[in-house]
Amino acid sequence: MIKKLSLLVLIGSLTSCVAVKEYEKVYLNDPDMILASKNAHKFETSFQVYREGSAGANGGKSGGGCGCN
Amino acid sequence: MSCIGYSQATQDSTKIYKKRVLETVEVDIISSFYAQDGDNAAVTGGIGTEKLTDLATSITISIPLNDNDVFTLDGTISAYSSASSSNTNPFGGDDDDDEGNYSANAISFGSPWIVSSGASKSDVWFNGDIGYSHSSDDRNSVAGANISFAKEYDYTSFGLGGSFAKLFNEKNTEISAKANVYIDSWQPIYPVELKTYLERNQNLNAGFFNGINIYNQNGVAIDKNGTTVWSPLKLSLIDTKSRNTYSLSLGFSQILSKRAQFSVFLDLVQQNGWLANPMQRVYFTDRANYYIGNPISIPNYTSSSNKDVFQLADDIERMPQTRFKVPVGLRFNYYINELVTIRTYYRYYYDDWGITSHTASIELPVKISDKFTLYPTYRYYIQTAADYFAPYEQLFSTDEFYTSDYDLSKFDANQFGFGISYTDIFTKGKIWKLGLKNVDLKYSSYKRNTGLSAGIISAGVKFVME
Repeated sequence: MIKKLSLLVLIGSLTSCVAVKEYEKVYLNDPDMILASKNAHKFETSFQVYREGSAGANGGKSGGGCGCN
Repeated sequence: MSCIGYSQATQDSTKIYKKRVLETVEVDIISSFYAQDGDNAAVTGGIGTEKLTDLATSITISIPLNDNDVFTLDGTISAYSSASSSNTNPFGGDDDDDEGNYSANAISFGSPWIVSSGASKSDVWFNGDIGYSHSSDDRNSVAGANISFAKEYDYTSFGLGGSFAKLFNEKNTEISAKANVYIDSWQPIYPVELKTYLERNQNLNAGFFNGINIYNQNGVAIDKNGTTVWSPLKLSLIDTKSRNTYSLSLGFSQILSKRAQFSVFLDLVQQNGWLANPMQRVYFTDRANYYIGNPISIPNYTSSSNKDVFQLADDIERMPQTRFKVPVGLRFNYYINELVTIRTYYRYYYDDWGITSHTASIELPVKISDKFTLYPTYRYYIQTAADYFAPYEQLFSTDEFYTSDYDLSKFDANQFGFGISYTDIFTKGKIWKLGLKNVDLKYSSYKRNTGLSAGIISAGVKFVME
């Protein structure tokens, strides 16, 4: 799994040789393209942390702050 | 009009225009209502009602201090009512039994399937967070720090964090690192029969045991002064109240094309301290069973028809005092056209308690007008069981660690959701000096193959100061 992700990162880095200019980012700047879960889903993520054995790797908390996980 | 949001700095004779990191004060208000039900409550050893409701609200205020710096205040309050945790004391009366004022007449005979009147049936969790971030003039570096405090009846947390992000390659590539430390502590609540037994020097005629019959598996009242009596496995409960978490999160995000981008997150998390929940009971298969309540109901103990007999705990759950967790997450978003975007997420998780999990989710925002977007979502989750998990009455007292918490069992879960969002970049809607920028409403239904089902309604509103 780690190898596959590393490969993906490598591919991404190579692709980055052709940079998208600021004025070409109109689609990327769409609110639905944000690389994070929506703010309004904060408590949905919280209940998943409580009810499941795993947490983290979503840009938010990965433990601590509650006796939950 | 085009000058709005830009500040002007003068450096020698050259004028530099710099976009503010945050144009104006923003206020985010998020609320949710969560409800769940199931038959595997951990407080009652892996059987019993898991009925729970939770109402939560958070307010986040982001304040631009100048062109580069943003100060953030966040407050969250979450109030829950739980049938399961009410059964920390299923016999009614004072949870703590500090007064020693139990009597046979005061005790109500509960069961894992009904809500007790104990104080632990409800609680409020409060969290406060203060953050500060600084962006470089070229906007290619962002540094941040935050402190947090959280409190609930049996738990206190202090948190400290720092983060740094660097953008390069014409802002097509971003790497980030974030470190957090949580110094937490339990103010433990124990199953009342264990707490009383130890506080009353193992006297089964004191506290709420006074005048109460204890029955064996055959429904026969035992001689409480005899040699074959109920007693917990261990005569000590938790040996440390601390529970600390240290996490390092590394991120990499990359623009792939004018329509595609992805990010990868790797977290390394180390936890030390009392990582089990002190209020959760366990029952061993190799120890005799004892009950308080109506002996006629003992044969139906695991049935929800049992309303008046309760099994005395063998112990609280016990888990290792360290845990190392490694989640790796990947997001990939693709802008298909003006109508549809595809948002995907995958996570692989590993920890040294034996849990591995896979999480995959997809979200399809569909713009139905220039202001409204509908977004159906689906999430699939599957995990293996922790090495220390076994169901009710299937644990062995010879093991060092044990739990019957089904959140640590092997299961898979499906979650379907549907949301609608409203966005007005011109903030025409006004409340006092606040312009309405965004409203988000979503419902999700969650079902686990162990029988637990849950639903959550979330609503978020974003205002910007005029």
